[in-house]
Amino acid sequence: MRNRIIAGIAAGAIVGFGLVTPAYAATPGNASLSVLHGIPDTPVDVWVNGALTLDDFQPGDLAGPLDLAPGDYEVALTATDATDASSPVLGPVTVSLAADTNYTAVAHLGETGTPTVTPFVNDTSTIAAGQGRLTVRHVAAAPAVDVLAGGAPVVEVLANPDEATLTLPASTVSAAVAAAGTTEPVIGPADVNVQEGVHTIVYAWGSLEDENLALAVQTIEGLHSTPEGVNSGTGGQLAERDMMLQGMLLLGGLVIAAGAATAVAARRARVGS
Amino acid sequence: MSKRTIAGALGALAIALALVACTGTTEPTAPPPAIPSPSPSTVAPTPAEEVPVRPAAPEPARQPVPPVQVAIPDIGVSIPVVEVGIETGGFMELPENPAIAGWYRFGSDPSSSQGNTVISAHVDAGNYPIGPFSKLRNLSAGATTEVTDAAGTSHLYSVQSVTYYPKKELPVAELFGRDGASALVLITCGGDFDSSIGRYEDNVVVIATPVA
Repeated sequence: MRNRIIAGIAAGAIVGFGLVTPAYAATPGNASLSVLHGIPDTPVDVWVNGALTLDDFQPGDLAGPLDLAPGDYEVALTATDATDASSPVLGPVTVSLAADTNYTAVAHLGETGTPTVTPFVNDTSTIAAGQGRLTVRHVAAAPAVDVLAGGAPVVEVLANPDEATLTLPASTVSAAVAAAGTTEPVIGPADVNVQEGVHTIVYAWGSLEDENLALAVQTIEGLHSTPEGVNSGTGGQLAERDMMLQGMLLLGGLVIAAGAATAVAARRARVGS
Repeated sequence: MSKRTIAGALGALAIALALVACTGTTEPTAPPPAIPSPSPSTVAPTPAEEVPVRPAAPEPARQPVPPVQVAIPDIGVSIPVVEVGIETGGFMELPENPAIAGWYRFGSDPSSSQGNTVISAHVDAGNYPIGPFSKLRNLSAGATTEVTDAAGTSHLYSVQSVTYYPKKELPVAELFGRDGASALVLITCGGDFDSSIGRYEDNVVVIATPVA
């Protein structure tokens, strides 16, 4: 958390010089890791390199982001009463983290219901002004699905553990998940707020067979960019009026100057006479 | 036992008593320290670092309070404000009518804890009279600007600067900044008009800071 705040201050300082650093940024050179628990009914302890990192981690919860040096990390999940990582219920799995990369490691069910861990890379590139980024990840024990927005398929035949990403105008989307090739929702419809400059990641998790399919949502903020500019005049009347006024001033000036010259000339003429 | 030995023993006793006297708070009845359990299995480990955990549900986004009116008495400007976004090509969207200003709804609003409230209006447009923001260029530092928001709250600002920027050099990252100290940014067009493309060459930018 402290790193996050410092990064925020640094970002603020840089903005003054015209550069923009996304607010999500972990320590430069480090990786950012979030962890999502997507295995139903199974609270766990999470051990990273043998050290207890998440105690009593509940299904449907999202932890992090952790600010970690790049490298390989051994992640193991144990029962919540474990005293060390020697008897994992899942893993250990090696998660390789690259510098300046944002990850979400998801503990979830495979298509056939076998627990697994999938590390996803989160796209933290900037998003065009006015747009939001929406990613859908299939991490449920279920066959391939279609993702529907407003009842129409926007992602087709998405299989576990795949993902699909859309960029769309910031808006609230009525999203639902249906078996591939159908439009009868197995999840939702639910309103998903795709905010401007935010990467919204929606996870379909749980088990179709156990009837506990659900959506989990993660957001990564601060990816916005600015408008290209402001075109705030198309008529040209102001410029026209300005030119006319300038012209009149100039003309006025000439008239005054001419008048003065005439007066001087007249006086000289009088003096001369 | 020799006398000398007795004396030595008494001396030792005296020293011992003196030591007890010096440490008068010592409680001789204190129980012996508990022997640490040889089995760690009774102690639940705790994470070395506190990691934030929350339900993976959408966090309710802050609802902006849009500005609805800008008034600048010094130059006789009072202009209604509507919400705008982005137009085709990535430019800030603006109401067609120069007598109506647009507030960039993806940025900060006057109630935001930080960042700039950006309000812009056409200086002019075909088929309309020249707009109120044509007077922005006449503003002086210190002029009071009042922004009224949709909740009816009045936000007062004091003009800090009026700047002409060639359009391509408009510092959009700063002007549209969503971090840092709050400010009001008013933008319109000015300078020479290029009739071949129907565009002014400059942007006129007013920066005003909140009046406490």
